[in-house]
This record gives sequence, C-alpha cells and structure tokens, in this order.
Amino acid sequence: MRFTWMYAASQLRLRHRYTALGVTWNLLEPLLYLAVLSVVFSYVNRMPIADYAVFLFSGLVPWRYFEKVVSTSTDAIVQGDWLLKSLPASPMSLPLSRWLVASAEFGFSFGALALVLLFVKDRWTIHVIVLPLSMLPWALAALGVGLCCATLFTFFRDVRPVVQLALMFAFFTAPILFHPDLFPPGSAQARLLGWHPLTYLAALFQKPLYMGRWPTAVDWTVSWTAALASLALGLSALHWARPRLYFYL
Amino acid sequence: MSREVFTLRHVGVGFRRDAIRARSLKYAVASWFGGEAPEAHAALADVSLSIAAGERVGIIGRNGAGKSTLLRVLAGVIIPQRGQVAVAPDRRIVPLLELGVGFQPDLSGIENCMLASTLFGVTGARMRNRLEHIAAFAEIGAFLHEPVRHYSSGMYARLAFALAFDVEPDVLLIDEVLGVGDEFFMAKCLARVRDLVSSGVTAVFVSHDLDFLQANCERLIWLDHGRAVMDGDPAAVARLYRERRGVFEH
Repeated sequence: MRFTWMYAASQLRLRHRYTALGVTWNLLEPLLYLAVLSVVFSYVNRMPIADYAVFLFSGLVPWRYFEKVVSTSTDAIVQGDWLLKSLPASPMSLPLSRWLVASAEFGFSFGALALVLLFVKDRWTIHVIVLPLSMLPWALAALGVGLCCATLFTFFRDVRPVVQLALMFAFFTAPILFHPDLFPPGSAQARLLGWHPLTYLAALFQKPLYMGRWPTAVDWTVSWTAALASLALGLSALHWARPRLYFYL
Repeated sequence: MSREVFTLRHVGVGFRRDAIRARSLKYAVASWFGGEAPEAHAALADVSLSIAAGERVGIIGRNGAGKSTLLRVLAGVIIPQRGQVAVAPDRRIVPLLELGVGFQPDLSGIENCMLASTLFGVTGARMRNRLEHIAAFAEIGAFLHEPVRHYSSGMYARLAFALAFDVEPDVLLIDEVLGVGDEFFMAKCLARVRDLVSSGVTAVFVSHDLDFLQANCERLIWLDHGRAVMDGDPAAVARLYRERRGVFEH
C-alpha cells in the first residue's frame, strides 16, 4: 500500500513537473474548463434550464472524475510492465495509483467547482453537506470499472476504443447534459433513463447542488449497488487474471 | 526450522507461441470458435529443485533454455502454470532481473530508490539516510536527480546494484547484468556480492560466463529445453556443459 501511495504521489508531481506553473495547473485546468463551459452554455447556447451552468457542473464534475479513472486505468497494467516484469509487485497497485491520482485531481476540480459556483449560483442550501458522501459511490464504481478495463486491456489491446465508445455512450445517454425531467413520465426515454445507473449516480450531486434537496433512498440504493457490484467484478477479474498477466505484458 | 529458501516441485511454465496475436480481440474470438488449443513453448518443464539459505547457485544453459524464466519464478514475478513454489517467509528477496530494480523511467534516480525501497520493506526514513551511501557506491553524481530515462545502461545498472546491495537483501537473484557496467565497477560489485554471501546472503546467478560461475558458486544447475538436466559441483557441471556444447541430449 505504501508503494501505491508513493507511486501515485510521484505521478501527481510528474504531471506538471516541466510546466511553468507547476502544480498550480491542477487547480487552473478544471477552473478554466468550467469557466469556458459556463460562458458557452449560459451566454452562447442559452440552454432552457435555469442556472444551466450549475446543473451541468453538478453532473459533469463527478462524471469527468469517473471518465478519468476509467480511461487512465485502462492501460495501467500494460504501462506498468517496468514493475511487473522486474519485481513481485501486486498488479492492483497500478490501477489503484491511477485512481488515487484522479481522486486527488477530483479534489482540485471540486475546489474549482466551488469557486465557479460562488459566482454563478444564486441560492445555497444545507443539502450540499451531503456531497462528500455522494462522492463515495462514484469513486468505488470508477475503481471497479477501471480494474475491469485494466484487466481486459492487458489481454485484448483493442479494448481501448471500445472503452472510449462505451464512455461516450454512457455520457450522452445519462442526464448530465440534459435534465431528467425533459421527457414526459411514462415515455420510452423516461423508462430507459430509469434503467441507467448514471441517472442515480448523477442525482447524488444534482439534487443537493442544483435542486436544493436530498437524494432519495432509491438514488442511494441504486448507486451503492452499482458501485459495489462493479468493484466486486473488477477485483474478481484482476484476481483471476493475476497469474496470467506476465505472459501478456 | 527448514534451511530451504526456495523449494520447487514439478514446476512448469509455458509461453503461448501466438502471444502477440492473442492480444487481439478478433484473434481471440476466432481461436475460441476455431476450437484449436494454442501452441505453447515450454520454458520450464517439470523442474524440481531446492536452494538452501546461504547457497551460491549458478544457472547455466543455452539461449532459450529457461534460465531467466526460472529466476523470475524464484523472484515471484512469474506464477507458474504447473507445480508448486515454496518460498521461506520473511526473506527480503532482491531480484536484478533486467537492468533496473523496477525503475520507472520518468522518475529520477532518487525517486526510484525511494519507490523501489517500499517494495523491499525498507522504511522511507532509512532509505533517505542511505541515499548518500547509494549515490557514493553508484558513482553517478548529479545524475541521481535526473530521470533514469536519460541514463546509459551502465548508469542504470550501477544504480540498481547500489540499491540492491543497500537494502540488506537475504536473497539476491542476478540475471546476466554483471556484464553491463565497466570492469572497475563490476569488480566493486563482485567484491560486495562476496561480502554479502560470506555474511549468509543466498545468491542465484544466471550467466553465460562459466569461469565467473565456477569461481563464485558452490553449485551449478544446467537447464536444457526447460529441464534441470544436471545439478551439482560447478567444475563437473561446467566440464560436461562445455563438452556437450550446452546440449544435454543429442
């Protein structure tokens, strides 16, 4: 575990080592990203949802974290051949360190989100206190899916474009860019959204931050079930693959 | 308490001949539906041996005989598909399998030492105290602060040896890396290896240098086509190996 921590810390330092602004980019990058989106959606596109920027960011920030964990974890084991071919290290430590790096970056993104919302959000409610808890199912789900992708990519190198397509599909079909109430109740689209796990995961952020209310019991139950199921699947996949990994690096 | 550090029973390791193509999803699906078992190359076949604490063992064999695979099995890097491997607990096993000791190319020499030390169970405080000593042994000066990606192969090996010697190993596994550095550094490394061995460290060498192995080992294991075909006195094993030009059965 100490190796994983140290490796993650070194990766975080390495990311901006040769840049003029150094670690400041960790905060500046999400800040600029959200600022550009605020301008585009609030003034250029003029989306119909009130406070669209607040709505968008409440779903987009955790989604970006999830996407980052999955996409960076995918090649973690293959890129870690320098370690796995030389020392008897646990392959788990490689995707886990990518998860830690993305989690640290999410912390910066969250700070950037708070800064941006101070300017664009009119009304604040007590419900925002639940946000740290809302993050947990996102983090576990991301780790689980990341472990699955890292394992699959080691055996099948064409998995990467499939993962990217799947992420894009999940993003555009989830109520992150559009409001879940966009479709009339009982419609086919509304029913499909009901089956989409990201609907409930996104609600853990959108409800306290945008709608000013608590996530429902269904939101929590579906989110935790999806998170724990993906984590169990990821751990099982890596456990099964461990003796075989060396031969595919 | 058993003196055995490693005990291998009927160990077998096979590499798929189609390993590169098998990484393609299309090829894998075609193989599943085709129903043909992939052809495998047996790198190790039914190897049984044990290595006691404090032994200096050399492993010889022609290219592709399975020497490096055997060393990787001992290091725990390869988990064999067949047989059992028992390793004495609480032993600090330090493998020098490739040039580095698990060095991340983008990190500096110091960062890599700190990182690798965690895998050998050395505390951060102790490693920080030892960095100066490691730097002095490796003789790479200010390069210690540069990413190891920019090192020459000799510098890479110097740092790896300096680190491996400094983490107080119980077992050293050395694969063909003694020939990388310059003559003077290698003489220093060999002296250090002899010091460690005389203090009870177990050492396993893979090398094509029979003279070196005869001079520094008390036992030679000859591998041929993945099998341990001879195991014993270095002079006797080396003599037969030379007579038969590395091939046990003609």
